[in-house]
Amino acid sequence: MPGRRQPPAAVDTTLCRRCQANAPTITVRTEPLCSACFAKYVSTKIIKRMESFRVRHAEAGKERLLLLPLSLGPCSMVLLHILSQHLSVQAEKSGRTGYRLLALFIDDGAREGSAALFERVKERYPMHTYFNLPLSDALSLEGVPELLSPLNQATPPNNPPSTTTDPLSTLLSTLPSATSRADLLHILLRKLVVHAAQHHACEAVLWADSTTRLAERTLAETAKGRGFTLPSSIGDGEAPHGLPFYYPMRDLLRKEIISFTSLVEPGLDEMILRDVPKAAVSTKNTTIDDLMKQYFASVEREFPSIVANVVRTTGKLKVPALREEVEEHCELCDAPLRGHAPERSRLCYGCIRILRQAPAG
Amino acid sequence: MPPHLCQLCHTSRAQILRPKNHARLCAPCFISTFEIEIASTITTSHLFHPGERIAIGASGGKDSTVLASVLQTLNERHGWGLDLVLLSIDEGITGYRDHSLEAVKRNSAELGLPLSIVSYEELYGWSMDQVVAQVGRGGKGNCTYCGVFRRQALDRGAAGLGVRHVVTGHNADDVAETVVMNLLRGDLPRLGRGTSVVTSMPSAVGMGTGKEWEGKGRVGEVACTSVKRSKPLMWAYEKEIVLYAHHKKLDYFSTECIYSPEAFRGSARTLIKNLERIRPESIMDVVRSGIDMAKLVPNAEGGPGSGKPEAVQRDAGEDAEGGCGGSNGEDAGGEMAQMERKLQQDEQAEEDGTETEIKIPTKAVNGQRHDRDTQTSATAAALTSNVNGQDHDRHTHPPSNTTTTVPIRTKQEKKSNRKATRDTPPPKQRLGQCERCGYLSSQAVCKACMLLEGLNKARPRTGIEVGGAGG
Repeated sequence: MPGRRQPPAAVDTTLCRRCQANAPTITVRTEPLCSACFAKYVSTKIIKRMESFRVRHAEAGKERLLLLPLSLGPCSMVLLHILSQHLSVQAEKSGRTGYRLLALFIDDGAREGSAALFERVKERYPMHTYFNLPLSDALSLEGVPELLSPLNQATPPNNPPSTTTDPLSTLLSTLPSATSRADLLHILLRKLVVHAAQHHACEAVLWADSTTRLAERTLAETAKGRGFTLPSSIGDGEAPHGLPFYYPMRDLLRKEIISFTSLVEPGLDEMILRDVPKAAVSTKNTTIDDLMKQYFASVEREFPSIVANVVRTTGKLKVPALREEVEEHCELCDAPLRGHAPERSRLCYGCIRILRQAPAG
Repeated sequence: MPPHLCQLCHTSRAQILRPKNHARLCAPCFISTFEIEIASTITTSHLFHPGERIAIGASGGKDSTVLASVLQTLNERHGWGLDLVLLSIDEGITGYRDHSLEAVKRNSAELGLPLSIVSYEELYGWSMDQVVAQVGRGGKGNCTYCGVFRRQALDRGAAGLGVRHVVTGHNADDVAETVVMNLLRGDLPRLGRGTSVVTSMPSAVGMGTGKEWEGKGRVGEVACTSVKRSKPLMWAYEKEIVLYAHHKKLDYFSTECIYSPEAFRGSARTLIKNLERIRPESIMDVVRSGIDMAKLVPNAEGGPGSGKPEAVQRDAGEDAEGGCGGSNGEDAGGEMAQMERKLQQDEQAEEDGTETEIKIPTKAVNGQRHDRDTQTSATAAALTSNVNGQDHDRHTHPPSNTTTTVPIRTKQEKKSNRKATRDTPPPKQRLGQCERCGYLSSQAVCKACMLLEGLNKARPRTGIEVGGAGG
């Protein structure tokens, strides 16, 4: 197809590779791009993933409702920003939109200033519906108290009785390791998101995980003995939790998303809740997720395509057919138990590991 | 803190904290537990049948030394009647293999097991030192040569011993590394196979074709039939293997290969070691995940046939070797960078909407032999006449963990045919065997012969004669 070939004209390497008009400001996977072309790159990558939510796929007056959980980190804020633009464009072009967003902030109580920040986000993007929930609400979701009650009765090892009365931190303090705590928090968060989405009749959940984050999760879940859940837990579409999950940022690296935050006018920087950088912590407090984060931060610097390749590879695995028969699911993480749990266990192997890991040392 | 007592005998002081389950054991209890666990891996996956002749791939390192010792112990204890032999590959790496082979010889004497050594020099006319001198360290991955050569050398060595089952010392750490590495490389077929305790390759109909080539075949003067590989130590932690070797006072050689390791494996290894520090159980968990994910690999039984060079590499049932880590690596840092470049090109092509041309790395497959006037015709003749009375039935393996590859081969055959016809005049392909050396291959010429062709082209003619005469 000669028509589609690049013209043989020499490319001016001092200019943006795409528009050949402006000076490049950033190098994206070997291509020097100007700010405008980079912004277009980011938004195209995301909107391409929103194909199924185009206007034509929704009946007039019946926009599809999607839940967008916000951590207020760079990824979820960029997703909110781009989708807001996307919705305005849809409205401009056709007078209506293909979907509506319900943005949810779950407060784990660990990050200061999040409430004020959440208010600023609402002001800046007023077209969406917002609500927030404390993470501890997850503890009273159906089934959870029974599952975790053995933990509540256990006395925290080595720790003096917690000074706070927060049931969540009391619960966490009984867990054997930092990895277990991070795991349980993540599972509770997901449970609460799913519950909220179902409660508000959302059709699906949009997660703001970048490629880098998905690659981290791939190796982290592998290391936690949850390899079999991977294709369904990081793939787009049907998830074992009751409603579909989508990852519209799956084609963007974390570093690209972070670069984008400072390009937006007015800057997104002040809307973002930054992780407090952890000081050099001892291995005891490092989690498997932390390790994978560090690992892929370095791979991302040198070999960005390898990061993407990990995610793509996992995506090629077959998703075990869901609900082909009435089958048992892990009561904590919802993974199908088929062959992946000890006999008569209500929990999958990975969740047993969270709760029963022997103390190290 | 008072000293802990052994959790099993409750009498001696605990000396060992097991990473697997945090059990505290005394040395004697640890040794017996370790042996019981290996025995259980062997019996639950029906690795051996009574009286079977087994070759232990012995490198002189800790893993194979422990494997030989444990197998010898268990064989006597349980009366399995196994006929154990040691099989070593001499890659010809001065300062590394020569020393480790000494350790193997001492072990052979100590355990009273016969030892057979197959050398690259003898088999291929090239030692790894010579290969590296030729292709350079940073060149086209000397680990590639070593890996391809080793696979075939082990099979030929086994065939020479009349053995159809080779056990290797891959441990849980190795298998976990392989899982991570295959995820990083995006290598689904290997992800599907790397965690099986047994792998095997399809049987061929013997290899006496009269077309054997150069020095190859001198050792494999017996038909290459189905040689199965297994990893009895795949659930044993590297740490425990070291402890076992220490407490049993085994004599082993601990040095890494002097040539560059693979970048992917190196990267995966570091990650696994860091994981172990955070949560020691995670090595088992990675292996478990790997086994579960293997079931999710599309066409796990038929190979996902991506149409990529994979088909070439997997010719004779390549089985995700770990070993020195060099089953298929390129040179160290370059390997990842190379993959990165390739992936970027793919992405670019996808974005531009241009089609990627599949470049076949096997342009040497053109059926044209570089005939050389060597004295191998005699060897070849010997080979033909020597296809002895081995029965070529496929081995029956335990149904669960076997990678049965017959359907894969037919698929690959088609694929390679298609590819070959595109780029080259159709080679006279004989199903399943290399037309030069008779080794199992889905291509007309096996990978080792192709690599050798490249090497020999560059070698001065006199070099060949010296090599041939010396062998």
